[in-house]
Amino acid sequence: MPEGVIKIGVVSCSGENCLGGTISRLATRKMIDEIYPDKTVTICLPLFLAGGEQERMFANAYPTITVDGCDKLCAKRATEKYSGQVSDALDVSKIIGKEIAESPALSTRNLTDEQREMITKVAQEIKTKFEKVFTDYVNTLIKSGKTPASGCGCQCGG
Amino acid sequence: MFSKIKVIPCSGMGKVYGLLARESALRVTQNLRPQECETMCLAYLVTGDQEAREKIEGKNCITLDGCPAMCAAKNVEMAGGIVVDKMKMIDIMKEYKGAKPGTATELTEEGWQIVDEIAERIAAKVKKLAKEEE
Repeated sequence: MPEGVIKIGVVSCSGENCLGGTISRLATRKMIDEIYPDKTVTICLPLFLAGGEQERMFANAYPTITVDGCDKLCAKRATEKYSGQVSDALDVSKIIGKEIAESPALSTRNLTDEQREMITKVAQEIKTKFEKVFTDYVNTLIKSGKTPASGCGCQCGG
Repeated sequence: MFSKIKVIPCSGMGKVYGLLARESALRVTQNLRPQECETMCLAYLVTGDQEAREKIEGKNCITLDGCPAMCAAKNVEMAGGIVVDKMKMIDIMKEYKGAKPGTATELTEEGWQIVDEIAERIAAKVKKLAKEEE
């Protein structure tokens, strides 16, 4: 991470076998595209194994929130197994219900308005966790005497 | 006993290629050849859980990767799956020069058309493999 720029990692399971996986993916994309595009960073979960040391440093380089579609919690467990302790974790099935989350995966071509609402709801939950993790991280930096900065990422202070 | 062929995409988060892989896999496993193939969560394989490994060990798999990192192919191989075909979206997209398939979040009409064509190719491979297994 460039010095002075604070980014928070959001890692989704993107599970292919259930609706929860589709929602975890799209809610995470909402963080990247719309909610905190300048402060959110992600990584493809399978890169922890297929990639190198740099990829496995992810959770050490960024405070990380995992987003799992079901209670197997693959993103959380794999992140902690290969990369580092996560700062927070979200289980989509606890928000939309286990039965709905474990229903068959859905193409984004066929999303209903109800499912789009679920994505928005999950993204809001991620946002809440994100803001807490961000604040805690800034406070930790201040306590350790480092000067935190965030914003556009170009070091201009904007 | 016939075992369904696994079609496993990377579902990469960063670029449209990951979404093309994911949607192509869902199209073929849910619509085109559901009797002969299925998908499974790549994230579950990444955990290294014994149960996940047992689901794929010794099974024929087609992997769909977005980028040269080849996450799906590598993870499936590490879990003991037999990768009979490795498809790479970034290479396939060279056949669609100038196309604008969309983003990692959503596909354009053109992107969906490409997904349908890729899925047809996968379906043909699945059909052939299933016939060989009979």
